[in-house]
Amino acid sequence: MRHFKRVVGLKLSRIVELIINSVLLAGLYATMAYGLGLIYGVLRIVNLAHGGVIMAGAYAGWYLHELGVDPYLSLVPVGVASFFLGVVMYRGLVYRLPRGAAGGVQSLLLLFGLWLILRNIAYLLFTGNDQTLRTGYSTKAVTLAGELVSVNRMAVFAVAILILIILHILLTQTYVGKAIRAVAQNPDSCTLVGIRVERIYSLTFGLGTALAAIAGLLGATLFPFNPGFGSSELLKSFVVVVLGGLGSVAGTAIAALILAVAEVFPTAIPGFPTYLTAAVGFVLLVLVLVLRPGGLFGQRVLG
Amino acid sequence: MLEVRAIDAAYGDVQVLSGLSLQVQEKEIVTLLGSNGAGKTTTLRCITGLLAPRKGEVTFKNQPLSKVAASERAGLGIALVPEGRELWPQLTVRENLELGAYDKRSRARAAQNLDRVHAMFPRLLERRSQVAGSLSGGEQQMCAIGRALMSEPSLLLLDEPSLGLAPIVVEQVFEVIRSLHASGMTILLVEQNLAAALEIATRGYVIETGQVKLSGSASELKADPKIRAAYLGL
Ligand SMILES: Nc1ncnc2c1ncn2[C@@H]1O[C@H](COP(=O)(O)OP(=O)(O)OP(=O)(O)O)[C@@H](O)[C@H]1O
Ligand SMILES: [Mg+2]
Repeated sequence: MRHFKRVVGLKLSRIVELIINSVLLAGLYATMAYGLGLIYGVLRIVNLAHGGVIMAGAYAGWYLHELGVDPYLSLVPVGVASFFLGVVMYRGLVYRLPRGAAGGVQSLLLLFGLWLILRNIAYLLFTGNDQTLRTGYSTKAVTLAGELVSVNRMAVFAVAILILIILHILLTQTYVGKAIRAVAQNPDSCTLVGIRVERIYSLTFGLGTALAAIAGLLGATLFPFNPGFGSSELLKSFVVVVLGGLGSVAGTAIAALILAVAEVFPTAIPGFPTYLTAAVGFVLLVLVLVLRPGGLFGQRVLG
Repeated sequence: MLEVRAIDAAYGDVQVLSGLSLQVQEKEIVTLLGSNGAGKTTTLRCITGLLAPRKGEVTFKNQPLSKVAASERAGLGIALVPEGRELWPQLTVRENLELGAYDKRSRARAAQNLDRVHAMFPRLLERRSQVAGSLSGGEQQMCAIGRALMSEPSLLLLDEPSLGLAPIVVEQVFEVIRSLHASGMTILLVEQNLAAALEIATRGYVIETGQVKLSGSASELKADPKIRAAYLGL
């Protein structure tokens, strides 16, 4: 009997730990995916440079930290700079390509090329070695629900939630946010009421790029990274977007949680090989595409 | 107020309008008639700037529009109720109306205009939190008209507002158009419902394959034997 209790007790606390880990990871995933979903929802462009921007955000945070800036303080300048990077990418490149069904391939190739360029610049500047962003509080932990939880991971989660809340308010409460959602649904009607659709496209591309860079910076405080960082993050973003639908903040959050749970819980199985964690995303993606091609929440676009 | 002067328009290689001209004077209600594919919607697209004419010129209040971006024309006082409503289906009724006043000049008066639209269409107030895609056809048409009115246009363009609506709702829509005209708005009404359109319009144009075939006062057009045969089935 005593033995039995001990086993159950152990399991319960293990489950609590797994839940905490999943939720904390989901915050990062949601931020990461939101930028991709926003750009696709509004411009119908799959931003293959997303992974490259995530990587660039990680290096930007790392570099600023080497100069003595705390990564959480770098969030604002990195966010602003990558917003403008996104606007320039849109105005300078994407804008010039044909749109719609016929233009899909061109922008896909162009943005993929841009990713390769970003990656090679990072190799030149920082070599291919793994980097880590260690702060004074990287190893600090507090007790939460009987579990030791890293302070930094909670901070990443808090920032991610804050960003999602701000985005939600922007999209639902402001004129420009409503215009972004309207452009996703019917651009011609937007032109008719005086919305400059091209400006909304630039703005959206900038926002999506800023979100990717911020996610990269947050990720850099958690994981080691190198110029290849961002590829599995891009894949995970796809999974979340496909699961959660385009641009719905709540849908994205739930999808991010599903992905995180699917990744975190198997690690409790004794002998579960860690390299399989990376495959979880693929499996989920395939399952959803086969079972619910419209995503878990239907075809809503920025609804 | 509005003058369309000999415009040509095309989609790719397909020429749709050739040398089309028409005029609308201030406070007039003019109807643009023609069968499917005649080029009525295309004409409105040239006026609103969604499509640039290849030749010719559109002027509004004596100002040539060729250099005025489509997104600035709402600010000049032109509003369109598009064919098929073209609402933002996943935005609420309220949001659809609010965005109708997106233009800077309209935004300052958005609250008053929202009240005005709600007074005109109480149904839209009841349904304000519903997404526009869930409205009935008639309600969607009211929402589309309401959205256009949110910018306080001086010229209102309506593209087949009666399309696909039940007769009683068509009746209501025409009643709304009549009262807007009575309140001093200039209106260009595209219709396939000739009888009803000629009932409320002062003048009309009939277009065929992108050219004006006939024009005149409503009573002249109603009496025209060709129209009676071809469109009114008399
Ligand atoms: N986007 C487009 N691309 C190519 N051709 C088009 C396009 N839109 C319209 N057309 C063609 O242009 C012609 C005129 O179309 P338009 O929509 O102006 O006609 P309409 O008079 O409004 O007809 P309806 O009463 O059916 O609305 C038609 O032959 C149509 O097939
Ligand atoms: Mg038409």
